[in-house]
Amino acid sequence: MFWRILWRLLSASRSRLLLALIAVASGAAICSALFNLNLDAGDKLTREFRVLGANVVVAPPHTADAVPVMDAAVLERIAALHEPKVVAAAPYLYVSAQAAAATPSGGTAVNEKQENGKEEKADYVPVIVAGTWFDQVALINSWWKVEGQWVSGRDAASGTHEVSDSADCMVGKEAAKTLGVAPGSQLTLRYADRQIPLVVKGIVTAGGSDDSQVFVDLSVAQSLAGLAGRIGLVQISVRGSAPEIENVLHQLSHALPALDVLPVRQLAAAEGRLLERIRGLLFATVFLILLMTALGVLAAMAGLALERRRDVGLMKALGGSVRRVMRFFLAEATAVGIVGGVIGWGVGMLLSEWIGQRVFATSVTPRLIVLPVTVGLMIAVSLAGALPLRLLGRVSPAEILRGE
Amino acid sequence: MFLRIVKDSFTRQARRKLLTAAVLALGTAVATATLSVALDVGDRLAREFRALGANLLVTPQADTLPLEIGGVDYRPVAAGAYLADSNLGKLKTIFWRNNVIGFSPFLDVPVALHAVADASAASDSVANADSKQAGSFPSPQASATTATLIGTWYSHDVQIPNDGGTFRTGVATTNPWWHVQGNWFHDGAAECVIGAALARRLGIAVGQMLDVGAGEHTVRLHVVGIVSAGGQEDDAVLAPLEIAQQLSDRPGQYRRLLVSALTKPEDSFSQRDPASMAPEEYDRWYCSPYISSISHQIQEQLPAVEVRPIRQVAEGEGRILARVSALMWLVTMAALLAAAVAVAATAGTTVLERRQEIGLMKALGASRALVGAFFLGEQWLIALLGGGAGYVLGLGLAHLLGQQVFGVSPQLRPILLPVVLGVAAMVATLGSLAPLRNIMRLDPAPVLRGE
Repeated sequence: MFWRILWRLLSASRSRLLLALIAVASGAAICSALFNLNLDAGDKLTREFRVLGANVVVAPPHTADAVPVMDAAVLERIAALHEPKVVAAAPYLYVSAQAAAATPSGGTAVNEKQENGKEEKADYVPVIVAGTWFDQVALINSWWKVEGQWVSGRDAASGTHEVSDSADCMVGKEAAKTLGVAPGSQLTLRYADRQIPLVVKGIVTAGGSDDSQVFVDLSVAQSLAGLAGRIGLVQISVRGSAPEIENVLHQLSHALPALDVLPVRQLAAAEGRLLERIRGLLFATVFLILLMTALGVLAAMAGLALERRRDVGLMKALGGSVRRVMRFFLAEATAVGIVGGVIGWGVGMLLSEWIGQRVFATSVTPRLIVLPVTVGLMIAVSLAGALPLRLLGRVSPAEILRGE
Repeated sequence: MFLRIVKDSFTRQARRKLLTAAVLALGTAVATATLSVALDVGDRLAREFRALGANLLVTPQADTLPLEIGGVDYRPVAAGAYLADSNLGKLKTIFWRNNVIGFSPFLDVPVALHAVADASAASDSVANADSKQAGSFPSPQASATTATLIGTWYSHDVQIPNDGGTFRTGVATTNPWWHVQGNWFHDGAAECVIGAALARRLGIAVGQMLDVGAGEHTVRLHVVGIVSAGGQEDDAVLAPLEIAQQLSDRPGQYRRLLVSALTKPEDSFSQRDPASMAPEEYDRWYCSPYISSISHQIQEQLPAVEVRPIRQVAEGEGRILARVSALMWLVTMAALLAAAVAVAATAGTTVLERRQEIGLMKALGASRALVGAFFLGEQWLIALLGGGAGYVLGLGLAHLLGQQVFGVSPQLRPILLPVVLGVAAMVATLGSLAPLRNIMRLDPAPVLRGE
């Protein structure tokens, strides 16, 4: 009986119901999309912050005078943590060496071996050589503007590899200007009595210390300096909120007890504050939107309820108690809330996906928690919208039926 | 007659009108607040990004290759070119002078350090208060360590040419993340702060004296603080620029200048070569605070320098700023949409509630145009009143939001008032038009009967 009447009620005034449903569904769509986005925004923004570069540095403790170095096994230990928050880890070994551009012998073969006699006359310039892993640097230093090409990959057997052929290198813009090299030209590095011929692959513009350095593969720097299997420091890019980064720092210093694991203060401080600001702003705006949506749905549902006053009057005239009569309408409101909420949630997920693609160029993870929250909110708002009906209970049915 | 009906309607149904006006006011308030914040968010965030430090690097044009790791120069004093610090005030005379929020010159000197034993430090610090003048001390030779002394300004008053004002700047603005335990040195005093790693290595505490030597110059400095910078500076001594100039025999000179400027994110226009621009395009580029135009203007003011954007900061800032602004605008659009839906739905419901009144008016012979005009006039009045109240409420809300999130309230924009009122009236009209048409199509008799 209850269900039959309810069904009749719902099917009798289809157009009006459709309108209310549209209102509820669109409200639910906006709510769920923004709610979902809000939950994901922090994660997305911390990902964005990685364009600022490494935020953790692992270095050996400073000892008096000698250039501090550590065992390259550190890198394996960092990798062994399997920490998903670690975006990339790049080792660095700095060597203060001498460099000179070598005129390419014959001018054609760039991979040709360097003949030692050739560059005796060349002017050697002191330069800082940075040995690193280019695949990791590419992930961390996304701001590098490279003219020419990146050096691809890294030497897997770092340290043990004997550098015989000319290896590839990248040169900072200032260094390239001083040395007079361009992509494709050759370069010789000298340190103590060792010499290494290199081919310049790309010119780096970074606007900082990087501009005056020469970048080579870690293994090249190690053999140049005669420090096989040693590195100077590791730059790590860790994604996440302040406590998450803190947690990774903790794990790292636990795994590497003899070394200094330090956050890069420049980024740590700025990122935390920025994230807090942006999230606060987003949260406040989303809250206002929820409020407005609720108001809109409330108004639409109140309109629907108003339509029902004659039905209430009739039911009362036929002897239904106010309570029983009210039950129908609350059930109706609930149904509208559920259906509208679920439809709106579906649309909202698509909407948040679209926003995610537009703003962050990645998809936004749909969160399940959004569904119950949205539907619950919509039911609550629909029920609140149906509340004016209660007032009708006080009025005598005759008056309502007369149309007053 | 028209006015009387409207007045009557307002006085008789004051409560219902108040409700509609309240929803309208709330909608307008949300629109005003989100728009004010969204219009300001770029500026505010750009300022927040200055916490990342300088985004421009100024170096001498004709220079040897710097031997830099992590921003600290390891070249000997004799090598390379220098710049004069006397004309730094000119930085505050460029077109975008107000966007230059700080700059610090740097002069790195390789030095030998001798920690002065504690006992003598206590007496020396009193006796040699003016130790800056003293050329050579018979150092106790406890331990000699080589390190780098970074000469810079902490908070230095720079004279601005022409209008005479002074500008206080230094690493306090350009490197705000440098955290010092103790105090910063005073510019001009024989004081220094020491990097945390170096302090640990040498076992130096705040309050000790340090003999710093370079070549034949030696200076006794009072360690007033320990700085942790999270970079190569942790292994160096930071001292006033004058000390570094004195040690390196380079009075009035520096090697590197960091400038922190508020900039507009790069777009396709700013990436074009200024040389290839038409005159009016060049003017537009020159008068926009792009990082490229600000560096161009700095280059115009300082002779023989090269200005380079620090891409790590500039690029990252630009990208994040663009993302966040896009996000904020989308969310603002959603807020406006939600507010519009709420206002339209409320307006529609108001009309529905009064179908009998409309029926009566029609039965009494009112034309559809008159009924429409009467209702729309009423809606507009509500929109105006509600919208006006909402604007004021919205300003309060924007202030609250700005204070909460950025600690600064957004700028007042009077232009928003007519915009918001117009939109409110339009939305209210649109919302009530459809139900109004529906009702008017009906026959007055059944409406009056209440069907």
